[in-house]
Amino acid sequence: MAIGLGIIILTFVGLVLLGVVVYLVYIFNGLVRLKNNIKKSWSNINVLLKQRSDELPKLINSVKGYMKYEKNVLNQITKARTQFLNAKTMSQKAEADNMISGALKSLFAVAENYPKLKANENFMQLQGRISGLENELADRREFYNDSVNTYNIRIQSFPDMFVARLMKLQEKEMFKVEEKDKKDVEVKF
Amino acid sequence: MNIAYPIGGFFLGVYIFFKGLIWLKQKRLIENMPTSKIRSLAMGLVEVFGEIVPAGKKMLNCPFSGKECVYYRYKIEEYRSSGKSGHWVTIKKGEKGIPFYLKDKTGMVLVNPSGARVEISNPNLKNRFDSGFGRDPPELVKKFLASRGLNFENFFGMNKKMRYTEWFLSLADKLYIMGTAQDNPQVEDATARHGVEDVMIGKGSHEKIYYISDRHEKDLLKRLGWKVAGGIFGGILLVIGCLLLIFLNFNML
Repeated sequence: MAIGLGIIILTFVGLVLLGVVVYLVYIFNGLVRLKNNIKKSWSNINVLLKQRSDELPKLINSVKGYMKYEKNVLNQITKARTQFLNAKTMSQKAEADNMISGALKSLFAVAENYPKLKANENFMQLQGRISGLENELADRREFYNDSVNTYNIRIQSFPDMFVARLMKLQEKEMFKVEEKDKKDVEVKF
Repeated sequence: MNIAYPIGGFFLGVYIFFKGLIWLKQKRLIENMPTSKIRSLAMGLVEVFGEIVPAGKKMLNCPFSGKECVYYRYKIEEYRSSGKSGHWVTIKKGEKGIPFYLKDKTGMVLVNPSGARVEISNPNLKNRFDSGFGRDPPELVKKFLASRGLNFENFFGMNKKMRYTEWFLSLADKLYIMGTAQDNPQVEDATARHGVEDVMIGKGSHEKIYYISDRHEKDLLKRLGWKVAGGIFGGILLVIGCLLLIFLNFNML
């Protein structure tokens, strides 16, 4: 075979091989980044959960004088907060988060029945702050689920699945919101 | 056949091939990154989409049209002819940007465009002027050229064939940004009362990518997909084709 043809074939094979190797490296690095993105987005949720948890005692203090007959609602919040503070795993924290969100919805709905409380500046500020945190939490849960979704699709798609298998990556669970927490709070007058 | 062409083509092919690999990396990074809502931005590499809102009263003016903007890029080219053919040569180019806010449905965040790779594809965000025989450039262009020590006339006082192009980003333009959310140097840490006013998107020290585009993410990915395919496969084809020509030239096949 002529030397020129040999060099051409070698160059072609070399470039294709280089392309494949670089692609595999990108897949590996991409999967590592995706895995870390999920961890990071969970940490970012956790920061807000902690901030919200720190605001709850202040909220309870500001409302308990007005809402003597709503002990049940206040107890729910305290109980959910304790559960959050004792939670060790991600799923336990997620469960406690759902409980707190549900209890807060009830509290803010019931607060509508107390005009004096609604006129309290401190309560209004806390409500605004907690509602703001709730909105940010909703965004970050959505972001977390987007990250998990992208990761799950990647590790099941061709050709990423081969690299994912070598890395022993497994499907991750999304952040679930309980069906009862999606419903509007019923307020009894 | 002039052997310089296939040799040049060979190196161009290698360059295009590696460029294709770099575009592939960018494409995967964009695909893997979910879009954040501005209200809940977290520090680090983020992807956001929103519209431009001014950060202060002061705006920039485009160099050739004078339009108000937050970012502009310009290029001045001169036509150089050699024999029957000719080509455009860039004699001056540059860019300038000022910080602006990016706003989505949930909030606003400060963006410092310094150090970003800015892609502007919308033809409405581009102006082109020219000058030539019997045709002077617009007054603003003349002023700009004078301020940079450039001349649109040749040695004999006749107009040179030149063109002046500007691209700009203005208020309410929609942008896709992938950059690093970091502390806003103008605001003290943890003093934000509303949303993310203590955060700024800019070029990160760890993350090399800082990309601003007026395209939607889908369009961007589609375009990158074509560039990746063209770069990698086109590069290989060009390399092989040029090698064939080189070896044919030296009777080595």
